[in-house]
Amino acid sequence: MADLRDQTLLYRLRREWPAYIYLVPTIVVLLVLNAYPIAYTVYISLTDFGTGGRGSLLAYHYIGLTNYYLAVTSGASVSWQLIENSFIWAAGSVALFLLVGLGLATVLNQQIFGRTVYRTLMMLPWAMPAFITILVWANMWQYETGIINALLSEVGISPVDWLQHPTTAWAALFITNVWLSFPFYTVVFLATMQAIPKDLYEAASIDGAGGLSKFVNITLPFLRPTIIFVGLMGFLFTFNNFYPIYLITSGGPGLSTQIFITESYKDAFGLGGSPAFSTAAMYSVIDFLFVLVITVVVIWTTDLTRNWLK
Amino acid sequence: MRRRRGRRAIRIAKKVATHAILIAACLFALFPIYFIIITSFSTLPIAAITAHVLVPSPSHLTLASYHTILYSLSPSFTSLLTNSLIFAGSAAAIGLGLAAFTGFALSKFQFPGRRTFVYFILIISLFPGFIMILPFYLMFAKVGLIDSYIGLIIPYSAGAVVFSGILVKNYMDSIPDDIEEAALMDGMGRTQAFFRVLLPLCLPVLGLAAFLAFIGPYTDYALANVFLTADPTKWTLALGLYNIANTDTGEQNYGLVTAFAILMSLPIVAFYMAFQRYIIGGLTLGAVRG
Repeated sequence: MADLRDQTLLYRLRREWPAYIYLVPTIVVLLVLNAYPIAYTVYISLTDFGTGGRGSLLAYHYIGLTNYYLAVTSGASVSWQLIENSFIWAAGSVALFLLVGLGLATVLNQQIFGRTVYRTLMMLPWAMPAFITILVWANMWQYETGIINALLSEVGISPVDWLQHPTTAWAALFITNVWLSFPFYTVVFLATMQAIPKDLYEAASIDGAGGLSKFVNITLPFLRPTIIFVGLMGFLFTFNNFYPIYLITSGGPGLSTQIFITESYKDAFGLGGSPAFSTAAMYSVIDFLFVLVITVVVIWTTDLTRNWLK
Repeated sequence: MRRRRGRRAIRIAKKVATHAILIAACLFALFPIYFIIITSFSTLPIAAITAHVLVPSPSHLTLASYHTILYSLSPSFTSLLTNSLIFAGSAAAIGLGLAAFTGFALSKFQFPGRRTFVYFILIISLFPGFIMILPFYLMFAKVGLIDSYIGLIIPYSAGAVVFSGILVKNYMDSIPDDIEEAALMDGMGRTQAFFRVLLPLCLPVLGLAAFLAFIGPYTDYALANVFLTADPTKWTLALGLYNIANTDTGEQNYGLVTAFAILMSLPIVAFYMAFQRYIIGGLTLGAVRG
């Protein structure tokens, strides 16, 4: 059927039209529940919905780009902090994922006793749903009641108020995030490494190459496409990874770990004060634009969609 | 001679280092899980828990936390579980049905506009579901779908369609066209061939997609928290767990949090254990191939 692609449009239409019928429900879902809500969010971000101070939530007006203008120019600029945090969160996490994943995969990719046992045990964090384990981690990081400080004092280290200082709050987030994700990265890299032909390494050994040289000249080039792929996907995912931040730091202390998606949620549905829907919508839109740009760059610069388009 | 002994020492040191790294990684991976299990069987205050976690004492092992969760929660655990199953089950079923048709159309037809459509759902699939919460809330509040079952099932199903559709499509791509052609030769129509021949072959990927489509709503807090405000009888497990674990009050009852976490994870963990090879394989396949 592949040769169909060379046929004329009309011929293909006549032969392949049932596809449209199969796609009707999905197209409706995509338009009504994806495209329309996105457009609606853009519209709300151009109004004073919830921020106009008119008393009634239903009386709101179109105010153009005023929200965006204020966000960029106001003194205590929240937006710049959010951009910075979102990138720290995504780039920092991905760097750690790659580092830990590559390291452990390299170690596991040797003939060692108990390899399967190690691999199976390491995969266990994956078995429990992330929402549940993040909530437990949130409890573990607490100053007075958390098990982590209790363990630290057990070995003579004075307790750390993890969530009250920006640096330690980030540390808590990154450690939790690595725990959540390293099994996936390790398994992916290990699977890729095992697909590298063994004779390449043997030939290199004969030529007198050491372990490091083999890693740099054989393993890394082979892993490159995988590293780029999972790195970019991981970046996109983490950029909007809501639960670790929402459940562990709630963006605090202050705004120091707040990202777009958690700030937007807080503005719209947070406790206290009236819901600032227009600001929430604006942060969603900015977040959306970042994701769109990154996605387009990903599609253009990698052959990630090769399998999907064939 | 001396040189050879030096080499051997290096080899042993390497082995020791390797195992040290792997043991450290396993401890890191396992500690929170171990902590959850041990703590769920105790009712000790935090000060006493550390010692108990390090050296569990049998005299402190109790099922009291489980008893409290199962019999004295309000809304009851059974009610939370039933609601979670209703939401996640319907979303997985509806989402999967749509995804099967989508995958079929995109994989086995060369219709005009196919490329554009694939790009479209690809871009949609990369967008975070969380930014949909606000527009959904405002739209659904207008038509009175807040605090209703339907109101939450709709966005959950929509979330499942796109990702599952791509999974099914990729899997169907790997099924040779000859199989469908043979069915057509036997006098079946394309729809018939899809239901009778292709779909049964896709069962493994449909299982994986159903599992993923189920987990999303099952562990969703952000959307449920906004949509189910006034009516606790419709609350889900995720909302129940959040309320028990809420760190704002400063009085965590570790026993209750962890016992709830275990009960809520149990179905997922059981499924994961049973099909582990399969789930990991299915999810990493795209990445490894990438």
